[in-house]
This record gives sequence, structure tokens and C-alpha cells, in this order.
Amino acid sequence: MRTRSGLKATFGALAAIFWKAIKHYTRYPGGFVIYLIMPFLFSILIFGMGQFVGGGNAASNFAVRTGTTNFVVYEILGSAVWMTSWVVVEDVGVALRDEQMKGTLEQNFLAPISRFTLLVGMSLADVVITSVIFLVVVGATMAVVLPSGFLNIFQAFLTLLIGLVPMFGIGFLFAGFVIKFKEPYVFTQLINLIFATLTGTYYPVTFLPYWVQFMSGVLPQTYVIEDMRRIVLADQTLVSLYGSVFILLTLALAYPVIGYAIFRQLERRASVTGEFSKY
Amino acid sequence: MNPVEVNALSKTFETKEGPLFRKVPRTVVAVDGISFNVPEGEIFGLLGPNGAGKTTTIKMLCTLITPTSGDAHVAGFSVAKEQQKVRANLGVMLTGERTLYWKLTGRENLEYFAALYHMDPSYAKNRIEDLLTLVGLKEREDMLVENYSTGMRIRLSFAKALLNEAPVLLFDEPTASLDPQSSRLIRDIIRDLKKGGHAIILTTHNMEEADMLSDRVAIIDHGKIVSLGPPSELKQKVKSSDVIEIEGRNLTDETANSLQSFSEVSKAAYSTEAGEKGLLRIHVEKGKEILPKILEFLVRKQATITKVNFIEPTLEDVFIAQTGRSLRD
Repeated sequence: MRTRSGLKATFGALAAIFWKAIKHYTRYPGGFVIYLIMPFLFSILIFGMGQFVGGGNAASNFAVRTGTTNFVVYEILGSAVWMTSWVVVEDVGVALRDEQMKGTLEQNFLAPISRFTLLVGMSLADVVITSVIFLVVVGATMAVVLPSGFLNIFQAFLTLLIGLVPMFGIGFLFAGFVIKFKEPYVFTQLINLIFATLTGTYYPVTFLPYWVQFMSGVLPQTYVIEDMRRIVLADQTLVSLYGSVFILLTLALAYPVIGYAIFRQLERRASVTGEFSKY
Repeated sequence: MNPVEVNALSKTFETKEGPLFRKVPRTVVAVDGISFNVPEGEIFGLLGPNGAGKTTTIKMLCTLITPTSGDAHVAGFSVAKEQQKVRANLGVMLTGERTLYWKLTGRENLEYFAALYHMDPSYAKNRIEDLLTLVGLKEREDMLVENYSTGMRIRLSFAKALLNEAPVLLFDEPTASLDPQSSRLIRDIIRDLKKGGHAIILTTHNMEEADMLSDRVAIIDHGKIVSLGPPSELKQKVKSSDVIEIEGRNLTDETANSLQSFSEVSKAAYSTEAGEKGLLRIHVEKGKEILPKILEFLVRKQATITKVNFIEPTLEDVFIAQTGRSLRD
């Protein structure tokens, strides 16, 4: 048999995993459409609640607390990043469980590739999916509401790309938990709601109690959302936000390492207990 | 060194059973110190009832489950310590049709797994062509697997196991759920693979298939190998007895146990048949002399006898002789 070795073999496997995931997305299009719609629905929900609670002072209160009057872009940016994080946690965390239930996980684990290659391949497909979600959702909103800031989207997108790396680390962590504890949706729904609450998706994190802000500070989404709002709504640049970008880069190094180490530990344990074929 | 060497391999699962907050830890010995070797060009059958430990053995050999103790070597590599190398030298078909991506076509499935096995793309293309032709799916290669029949999915899964031309092949129930024609095709391919020098391990609870294909058979029960040898040799061991097969209604496990009180009966095992019918398989000395006595006993137990046969011993009789139970239980 003619085989490839070294990096060529790894890239070949990565490409195969990537295309398999993309084909699945295109052949199950419903999920993708939902991801495009949900940021708008959540933003409308928050807008309605704001109007109900704030009454006639809602807009001015919002401007005082956030520094901008453009609540549409403010909320959509938060929603879009939350949706991105949702996709990553779902796809990387739950995908392995889905494969386990379908019976294909064992087939992947039978191949002579590292688990890391498998997780990274799935993550690469998510970079494309989440990028499309972000660009469509935020692009469409900006085109209508804030055409003058349209060019800022690309810097905001760059922030998202940096932020995706630590988010994948969180996804790896959940992939391990899901193999161990099953019940993927209990984990992912809980964590997605926690992320929405802690990372400033719909309000500034400074409104949270101090000890909660500490938890927000270790989540990459917090920095991505905050930096994007500053870039798009306050005309700042990534360079001027270097402190925040530095923290994001640090998290981008730490989370994948921690996430993968915990995943491997739980995956090895599953191999001892025979969890892979349990439904 | 043989392509497969299994040495005192064991697997114990720790489970917890019972209602919430009152769960009791339980230890299940799935595989209990089994040893065997498979040389090149041999088909080695692992035969046993459901839950005997066949699939756990296969999963340890293909690195999906870590052994509790002992070790096995595949193509010279330890399943406990050199897992990547073991995987590269194995072609595995696990039970069931859900081992493929249903939203990919047959060809896309094979291309995906070829890449995971690091196959050169142009070489893989030809190999996939050949395999799809071999298993009779060339015409349907671009159809989504979700539109395949069960038999087609199993044949594709079988082709997937042959993709990387591994020296060692593991087939877990390769013909389960297949129609007779597809089963014959798969068996013929397995025989050809043997001629090509592959070491093949085949698990099945179909004793006819094990008998037909295997050069040697290990009969496994409660995680232990209870008999090991060529099928003809194993059957020879029970040839000194007559084997009577009685089919009917109102036959039970208890009936089989009661029959063992006859001094001429060495073993009796019960298995269920379709409908309300049951099947007794009785190993006896001087069968023709004892048969009227057995029938009279069964009628007294209010059994309705529909068929009585004197049969040649099969691997099932070897299993009954060793364990006192039917393989079909």
C-alpha cells in the first residue's frame, strides 16, 4: 500500500475531516439556518425586555451605561459572538457524542491518527462555519444600521479568529466531559447560558458583581465581544487594544493545552471503562 | 512471530447497579485470561453466545478498550503500548450498519477513511474502485449511504475494513443481517484474503459459518476459552455420543435439566425457536434405545413434539458438551 507520512499525512487527514464536516453541514442545512437566525431573535428578545423595563428612558439609560446609542449593533455583536461560541461548544463538544451514538466514533478511533488531529479537523470546519455566521449576521446588520463602520468588520473579524482558538480549547474540554458523562445537551445548554450571562453578550460585564467579573475575565468571549464593540462602535483599532489582545493570545495558548490534556485524560479513562460503545 | 499473539488477556469492568443513591459496585469479568495465536493465512473463529466476551476481545485487539491485564501483539506491536502502530496494521469491521456516515456517499465514506489511514490519494482512488467492485457497490458508489439497504451498508463496511490492506483483519459478525447471497459473497472474499496470507479473526455466534470458514475455532464462554482447535477436531470429541434434536412446544430449560437425570444422557440444552417452539439438543449414549424413554418423559411433561432428528455433531454440540448450555441462549 502506498501511504503518506509526516506532515503530508496529517494534513491529508485534517483535510478529510474538514470536508466531511462541511459536507454534513451542507447536507443538514437546517442547523446552519437556525444559527443565522438566532442572533437576531435573541437580540429582539433583549430589546423587548429593555423597552419593557426601561420605558421611555430605555435608550438614554442604554447610552449612559454602554457609551453608545447604537443598541442594535451592540446587541448583534454580542449575539454573533455568543452564537459562534455556541457552535464551537456544540460542534466540538457534542460532535464526538453524536458520532458515538451513530457508531462512527469507534471507526475514527480505529484509524492511526492522533485524537488531536481529529479534534483540530473538526475545529477547522467550524472556523469556516462560524466565520460565515459572523460575516452574514454582523455584515447584514452593519450594512443596514451602520454603513459608515462597515470596514471595521474586518478588524472585528480578526478579533473573532483570535478568540476562536481558546474557544476550541473549551470545546476540547467539553468533548472529554461528554464522552465521560454522556448527556451532551445538559452540558452544552448549561454552559452556553453561563457564557451568555458572564461574557457581556447583552450588557457590559462591569454590571456584574466583582467576583463574577473575575470569572468573566478568564473567558475569551468577554474580550472578543468587548474588543469588537470598541472597534466597530468606537473606531478603535486592534493595535490600540493591545492589552486585551495580549490576554486573548494568552488564553489562546492556555485553553487548547488545558482542554486537550483533560480530554485525553477522560478519553483514556473511557478506553478503560469501555465507554466508547456505550450509548 | 505470529501476526496475532494474545497472552493471558483479561478485561474487568467495574460498574454500579441499582437505584439512584443506592448503587452497588459490581465487577464484571468480560474476558478472563485468554491466550491464542493466529498465524499468517489462518482464519481464526471466536465462537460464543452473546455476552461471552468475543466483542470485548476484538475491541482490546483493536485498541478501543484497554486490557486490565495481559497483553496482545498485532503485527508485533503491543495493543497496550503501541496503539498507533497496531491500528495501522489492522483492518476492522465492527458489528452493525451504523459504522458509516449516512450523509456521505459510499465512495465518500471510503475516501474519508482512506485519508485517515494516510493512503496516498491516487493509490486510494484505485483501491476504492477495486473494493467497490469487489463488494458489488460500484453502480451505487455515488448514492448517499442513507439510501442503501442494510446489506449494502454492511458490504460497504466490509470494504472499509479492507481499505488499508492490513496484514491482520478483524471481522465482528461480518454476515449478521445479510441475505444468503451477500453472506456467500463475504465468505468467498474472506477465503480469498486467507489465501493472500492475511491473519483473520472472525467472531460469530453462527456456528455453521464458524465451521465453514475457520481453520481453528476458539469457543468462548463467560470470558474463557473452553475449547480451541480445528472444527473437525473439536467435533470429533463429541462424536462418541449421539445427538438428538427435538423440536416442540412446552419445552423449557427445566425440561433440559430434568433430562440430565437419565443416566444415558450426558448433556441436554434448550434454546428457543421461532414462535412458541423450543429446541432440545440431547447428547446420549445409544440414542436409538433411549429415545422412546425420552419421548415418553416429554409427553408426561405435557410437551408437544413436532420433530425428532438424529444429527451429526456440530460446533454447537461442542459448546453444549463444554458448558451444558446452547449457543443460541
